[in-house]
This record gives sequence, C-alpha cells and structure tokens, in this order.
Amino acid sequence: MTATTPKGTTGQKGSPGTKGPLGPKAGRREVVRAPRRAARPVATSPVAGDLYKQDSYSRSLVASLMRAQMGVTLSALLPAAAIVLAYPLLAVLSPGLGTAHVLGVPLSLVILGGAIYPPIVLLGLWYVRRTERVERRFVELFRDRD
Amino acid sequence: MSSPVTVGAIVLVTVITGVIGARGVRVARTPADFLVAARSVPPLLNASAISGEYLSAASFLGVAGLAMLDGLGALWYAVGYAGGYLVLLATIAAPLRRFGTYTIPEFAEGRLESARLRRATTVMVLVICGFYLLPQLKGAGITLQAALGGPYWVGVVALGTVVTIGIASGGMKGITIVQAFQFWLKLTAIAVPALFLLIYFHHPAFSSLRGEAPPTFATATTVKFPDVEQVDVQSPVTVEAYGVVNGVHRHGPLLLAAGGTSVGAGSSLRFPAGAKAPTLTSTVLLNASEWESPLVRINGIADHPLAATYGVVLATFLGALGLPHILVRFYTNPDGAAARKTTAVVLLFLACFYVFPAIFAALGRLDAPQLYATGQTDSVVLVLPRLVAGGAPGAALAALTAGGAFAAFLSTSSGLLISMSGALSHDLMGKGVRAFRTSALASGLVATAFGLVVAGDGINVLVGWAFAIAASSLCPLLLLGIWWPGLTWKGALAGLVLGGGAASFAVLATMLGAGKSGWPAVLLGEPAILAVPLAFLTMVGVSKLTRSSLPPNVTAKLLALHLPEAVRPT
Repeated sequence: MTATTPKGTTGQKGSPGTKGPLGPKAGRREVVRAPRRAARPVATSPVAGDLYKQDSYSRSLVASLMRAQMGVTLSALLPAAAIVLAYPLLAVLSPGLGTAHVLGVPLSLVILGGAIYPPIVLLGLWYVRRTERVERRFVELFRDRD
Repeated sequence: MSSPVTVGAIVLVTVITGVIGARGVRVARTPADFLVAARSVPPLLNASAISGEYLSAASFLGVAGLAMLDGLGALWYAVGYAGGYLVLLATIAAPLRRFGTYTIPEFAEGRLESARLRRATTVMVLVICGFYLLPQLKGAGITLQAALGGPYWVGVVALGTVVTIGIASGGMKGITIVQAFQFWLKLTAIAVPALFLLIYFHHPAFSSLRGEAPPTFATATTVKFPDVEQVDVQSPVTVEAYGVVNGVHRHGPLLLAAGGTSVGAGSSLRFPAGAKAPTLTSTVLLNASEWESPLVRINGIADHPLAATYGVVLATFLGALGLPHILVRFYTNPDGAAARKTTAVVLLFLACFYVFPAIFAALGRLDAPQLYATGQTDSVVLVLPRLVAGGAPGAALAALTAGGAFAAFLSTSSGLLISMSGALSHDLMGKGVRAFRTSALASGLVATAFGLVVAGDGINVLVGWAFAIAASSLCPLLLLGIWWPGLTWKGALAGLVLGGGAASFAVLATMLGAGKSGWPAVLLGEPAILAVPLAFLTMVGVSKLTRSSLPPNVTAKLLALHLPEAVRPT
C-alpha cells in the first residue's frame, strides 16, 4: 500500500537508446493495491515504471487517459439515456402514444417488448470497438515516446 | 395441477445441475478456486454463465406475471435488467477487472484504504444478496406447489438444501459450467413455448379489445378456484357454477350479478364466450388502454406514472452495477478487454431473452383472463401452455417452462449464496476453505428459514427492491471509486450508510404496508429516485469535506484501474 520513491532518480522521460528512462539501476517500487490479496505487486519495468511516481506527468497522463475513456462512455450512455427517458415522457405528454396500435399490436408492446433492445445492444458493441481503439492509440503513443 | 412430466423436468434440471457441479468438486481446492474459478474461464462461457446466473425468478416468471397484471409498463423492469449491462459495460467492466481484487469489499478497501469501509461494504453485500435471495426461494415454493400440488415449504426447503450443499462442496468452478448450461436451458425453456404458442394457435386480436374494454373470454372457459376467493364480476352473466357461490352450493346455470361474489375452494365457474373476465376484488383490473400504457403502475394505480417509471428505470439500470454475485464474475476474465467483450455478449444474450416474457404477458392477457380471477398471474409462464395448447403438447411445454423456472432459481440462488458466504468468510470471518463452507451452510440455513416466512410481496417487486438498494449503495461506490480521484473512504462510507440505508428503510416500510397510493407509494415503493441521488451527493460532498482522508497514492490506484494491460509492468 505504499509507493516508495527510490533515491537519486530524475525520471528522464525522453531519453532514447537506454533500457528506459530510469536505467537498469532503478530501485524497485512496489505498489500493493490491496492487503494480503494483491494480484501481484506492481513491479517497475523500464517502460512504465515512471508512471508510478506521483508527479504531474503521471497525473496528467492518467487524467488524459481517463478523459478519453469517459468520452467514449458518455457517447454510448447518453443516447441510451435519451431513448429511455424520452419514451415515458412522450407517453405522458401524448396519451395517444400510449394506446397506439401498430399492425394490430399495441405500440408499447412492440417497443418495450423488443424494439428498444437493438439500439441498446448496438451502443454496447459500438462502445467496445471505440474504447479498444482509444486504448490502442494510447498504447502506441506511450511506446512512441521512448 | 400436478403433472408427472413437470415434476420429472424439475428433478432432471436439479440432477443435471448436481452432476455437473459435482464434477467440478475435484478441482476446487484453494479459496481462490472457490471464489473466482482460477480466472480461467473463456469469454463465451463466461458470458453464458453470467447471463445464466442473472436470469432469476423475476426474469423468468416475474416480468411476465407483473406485465400481465399491472400492464405493459412493467416491461420497463426487463428493459432495465438488460440495459443495466450497457451501463456496466461502459463504466466499470474493464477497470474492475484490471484492479485485480477478488470481491467488492476488497475493492473498497484496496481503492480507499479503509478496513471500516470494507466491513460496511460487506454488510451491504449481505443485505442486497438477502433481499435478492428471498424471491428465488419464494419462486421455488410457488413452482413446486404448482407442479406437485403440495405445500409451499417443500419448494423452499428443496431449493435451499440443493443450493447450500452444492456451494459448500464445490464452490464456484463447477458452478460456472452449470450457470452456462442453465442460461441456454432457460432461453430454450421460455423461447420455444412462447413461439410455439404464438404461432400455432389462434389468438384473439388486440383490436377486439380497445379503449375501455376489460379482458374478455374469447371462448367458453372454465375457471377453477383452488382457494376461497372474493371476485368482482364486471357485468351480469350466466355461468355454469359447480361448488359454493355466495354461500350457496350450486350445480348448474347461475346468473351472477355484477359486483362482489364469493367463491368457495374447489369450485368452478364456466363463463360463456364473450363474457367479461372477473377479477379478484383485491386487485385492480385494467381496461385495454390502461393495460397498454407504457408507464409503470404501482399496485395497479397510476399515481405519478412518470416518477414511478423513472424510479424503476433508475433502480434497474444502475442496480446491476451493485449486484455482488454478478460483479464477482468479472474476475474470472483474463484481462480488462476480455471483461468488456464478455459484458457486451451478456447484453446481447439478455436482450434476446427478454422478448419472450413480453410475449407471455400479451398471450396471457388475450388467452387466459381467468388468471385474473384466481390471482395466478405470477405463474402465467407456467400455466399458459396447458391452457392454450392442452393435451400432450401443453403438458410438455409446461414441463419445459417449469424446468426453466427451477433452473432460474437454482442458478441465481447459487450465485447469491456464494457471494454471501464469500463476504462472510472472506471479509468478516477467517479465511480458508473451512470458513467458506461454514459460511455457506450458515447462510443457506438462514435464507431458507426466511424464505419460509416471506410475506405476500410479488417476486418481481422483491427483486426490484434488491436492485434499488444496490443502485443506492454499491453502484455509487464503484462509479465514483473508479472515475473520481477525489473520493475518500469517509465519503464512501457516508454514502453507503445514507443511500443504502434510505433505500433499505423505504423497502422495509413498504413491506410492512406503508405507502399504498400517492407520493408515499412512489417514493417508498421505488426508492431509487431519491436514494440514488442522495448516495451520490453524500459521497461527493463528504469526500470534499474530508480531503485529508484521501488514499496516499491515488494516481497509482487510477493507473491500476484504467491502464491498458499492454503498457503495464509485468
């Protein structure tokens, strides 16, 4: 549960040609996420070790990653929320909508019994594709900076 | 209503479950095996298992029953049960898996560094699982009562025993395969009868029942009353009565006046074609346009329908994020991306499933209005095949639905019992296999005891309450813990107590009879509309006031949650 910064490192982020910004002599930093039960201690590797310093670079990196992920999340959830919240509202404002029949079957049965699902499922599939793309880009950017 | 084929189906489902589960016993050795099946489950299997565990009595029986009784607005429950997975997918699926902790209380402690919060989270897990377990046991009691004709307690004790022994002996590894099998069984068990009944039999048209029309018997129908009932007759009608009606023993044609009529146990009334169906005096009968409304009714009353509908939507869409027995399955994926894909497949599977309860509700309304008179709408999925198809096909389909219903109780109860035992042994008592087994036995006994005394609340309503409590406690904890760096353990604790407490209080008040109509009915019966915002505001507000209690290494925690596996240190 502690992150100990080894002495003497300066986190050189952009130095090409070495094993990594910290060099082979970097101390081990252990970030244990939960007592007794961590999946494994998060050891440093030359590539990503500098992320676990609590400095502004790490913070802004995490923040930008989370912003990108949240962007995709909202683009999937807001349309779904709009559909789900709008239909009852429309039914209240226009009672005819609530009792309309389509092809001999009540419209509400068609919608709530089936037609409302495809948009929700498609938004889910779209979310998976978009967020994987966001993460792939992040990985590429991260590796390119060495 | 006893049928050897139906009993056989239930026994078969139980035996297959036990056999497949027992095969997993040999490989379940360590607590990790018990709890998360050694993280070795392939995505399609895991998606089937999650769907199987998720589809409970409420999904299989409750949605159709409630929609038939209270109108199509009840289908919002189904939309939410499925749609919650979109929210889960887009907000917590990958991060939760990436964080790496085994259970939700462990996530709470690992993320926010507080043992007190962990204990509070464990308590919420037990409360939510408890509320969710009771309707399963009740559903089992009802189903076995319908199949065997015996007393209610037989089903409760049978389910409780099978599940408890299965969990205590094999843990989760065996159960994953069982859950996967049971999803496909349940889908088949509801889809095949629904489609068969829909396509091969003639049904009255919806257009014949419009506007103010109450449900009507399309053909001459005999209504059998197993118990004494007080019914309302809609308009004067001549029936053939056999048994005690209004205190007088009848055997032949009888003119029933409109209004209240008492019918003795074991009596039957044969209504002519075109007669309006009677209803139990204690329930509200909806005419066609009321029944078709896509807005939620509480107890058949449409006070504040928009608030009631939004309350159901909020509880169901957010409650899936707080169901411990589902969340724990995320840890059986190899990585965050797999967890996401699995969740998307679950969303697809569930959306396909929920089409069929809607079909049953509609067919029940058209073909079996006698269920309104006997108060058996909750069992429409079980009885409709026999009523519509009759004979051997009807018996076969009824057996299929009964088997599916029992599979629903088995799978969800197992998942819940594992979560409860895991929470008790892992987070409150000692560790180890012995502790887990003891917790399983203890939880199983207590739950079965409560299942025997569960009050007359409908299955779907009970499950809806579990969702509302989950939506106002564990859901905000997870959403804010994963996406907001500013959450402190004190804020989380305050939110759990206030949000979860408010929802629990409202639920208990409703169970004890408060809130029959008007705003009390909506706010107590659908507490999510108030409790969820309360939980979020409390967590955010108190966290801002207690900034000193932030965990020391928030950035590292956020990285653990969000960083793609490809750039993680190995």
